[in-house]
Amino acid sequence: MSHHLFLLSPSDTPLYSLTHYSTKPVNNVSSPLASNLPNWSTSAFAGTLTALSGASGSAHQTSSGAVRMGGGQDRHVIQMIANASLDVIEDIMKTQSTMFLKSVDKFNEWTVSAFITPGNMKFVLLHEGKNDDGIKAFFTDVWELYVKAMLNPFHTAHTPIRSPVFDTRVRASAKKYL
Amino acid sequence: MAYSQPHSRVSVLSTSSQSSVEHLSPAASSTRFSLPSIPATPGFQASRPAGVRPNIYDRNLNKTRITEVSGAAFTFLFSEVVQYTQKRVSGINDLERRLNTLGYRIGTRVLELMVWRTEAPSKAPKREIRFLPALMSIHTQVWRAVFGKPADAIEKSVENADEYMIIDNDPLIERYISVPKDMSQLSCSSFTAGIVEAVLDGLGFPARVTAHNTPTTQFPSRTTILIKLEKSVLEREEVLK
Repeated sequence: MSHHLFLLSPSDTPLYSLTHYSTKPVNNVSSPLASNLPNWSTSAFAGTLTALSGASGSAHQTSSGAVRMGGGQDRHVIQMIANASLDVIEDIMKTQSTMFLKSVDKFNEWTVSAFITPGNMKFVLLHEGKNDDGIKAFFTDVWELYVKAMLNPFHTAHTPIRSPVFDTRVRASAKKYL
Repeated sequence: MAYSQPHSRVSVLSTSSQSSVEHLSPAASSTRFSLPSIPATPGFQASRPAGVRPNIYDRNLNKTRITEVSGAAFTFLFSEVVQYTQKRVSGINDLERRLNTLGYRIGTRVLELMVWRTEAPSKAPKREIRFLPALMSIHTQVWRAVFGKPADAIEKSVENADEYMIIDNDPLIERYISVPKDMSQLSCSSFTAGIVEAVLDGLGFPARVTAHNTPTTQFPSRTTILIKLEKSVLEREEVLK
């Protein structure tokens, strides 16, 4: 089961992203659409189409965290799903005052949860299983780390976060909660 | 305060440019600051090899008591900020805009840190999404976080529905500033206005915030922070009603 985290600035610039492969058991929700679709093989966009249809590729099962291809695991597809969910997030955040927005959007096997900081930073997480408490705890950790990063006078709203310490801390938290 | 004297001292704030660090505020200025590196606190120095500083992610964000800044030190720093800025601008408007920009950088951080301190321990942290509660929290919480006391009043403009005012009878940052007669329009509280603007921006209420002197006989340094909201904010408030 993999998780994809994106930190987006108020102007939707991605400042940080993380892919985390969890070793915890999957309770996958299978997509009904996927089983009804034929295999695409002729098109140059075959990979993307398969991914968008939600057909989980055969290369889905690895526990060691190796790179997996196809079946909704393509980097650009992940990014597109995350970006597409921003519309929903921006609608919801106008009327809902909680920072943690759980399961705001669904796309095939992916569920999108988000966290909005008071300064309008968006943390977007793509995940497969249901794990609300873990995700909330994870977001709370990332929030604290982000506040620390942004207190740095050399950080601005558009500076990508490249600190290795930040990265290590986020990974440690992901390992703990996701 | 000497306003227009060029001075020969070497300033601690050099104008050397920071590689590609972009400015936070929409009104980006061309001058960039860099401070000479300061060695870590003596306590840390002993246990670490030279040159390694404690990293920011190890710090506790809740230690407020020992990190309070003395009024004298702040006044001195702010006086330098005003002098530094004054030497690089062409007029009062420009000076106020620069101070506003500097305040903006503070405001974004104040907002995140302040809300983190109050909301992080709670089970379901909340953001402000309505304007009036947000304005109230600026009046009390932001002021308390920055100046140690709430502001003195909030007023709503009678003529314009999109204008609100926050009033401070004795602004801390202006306590030791006396503005020369020929610059009487200048309000150094533009710095505060910048902080307010950043907080409103962050919460999703874009506005133009300016500072004005509105002295009374009882409070000679009384200052009004004028908030002019963008149309979109009022429209959204109507929808949410």
